[in-house]
Amino acid sequence: MFGVRSVLWPDLSRVRAIRALFIRHGAESTPEGRSLLLLQKCLSPLQREQLGKKGYFEVLGSDTKTRFRIHAGASVNVCEVDERGRRQDGLCFMPIGALPIGDVMLAQKIALETCESEARAVARRFKPNGFYFRQTRPLG
Amino acid sequence: MAAHVVMDRSGDTRHTFDSNDRAEIALAEKRFMELTGAGFTAAVRLGAGECRVIKSFDPTAEETLFYPRLVGG
Repeated sequence: MFGVRSVLWPDLSRVRAIRALFIRHGAESTPEGRSLLLLQKCLSPLQREQLGKKGYFEVLGSDTKTRFRIHAGASVNVCEVDERGRRQDGLCFMPIGALPIGDVMLAQKIALETCESEARAVARRFKPNGFYFRQTRPLG
Repeated sequence: MAAHVVMDRSGDTRHTFDSNDRAEIALAEKRFMELTGAGFTAAVRLGAGECRVIKSFDPTAEETLFYPRLVGG
């Protein structure tokens, strides 16, 4: 009886595992999905949580120890934040080659955390407004 | 197995090599030189969200990420 029951009603954890497998397979089959998986793998637990909850994660600049916020997006998606978390200047820079969003964000993270001055040297500065950093804005 | 992960339009391309095999290490070093020569930045993943940029090939690094040259938008 229990055997029939387990076939008809597989335990919830197995259902979740199968669903996760399908989602993962779907994600791995697209450039965007693959890049986002790589990004997730390279974030700290805190950054991963920030990205999931807020749509951005924060990094510390290697040279000036300035806090930067990297929003989901492939351009005009980085801004400095002050000690109270308010947006300051925006920095627009990205790797060449029309990479998918996850790769762009990962390159921005590594650049700011390890060679901030080089990133600053190439970046175009802009004054951020609400549109640039809205969670619902078109990505890109 | 060690890996070179090159960010590209497909998301990434992963090249694995045996860090105990001299021939594979030589190929990996050649790839490293070609990529960094073309403007890619190499960063070794240290775990827990940390990376270290390297300027010369490190055969002991478990995973090295490569991203193309940065430009202003």
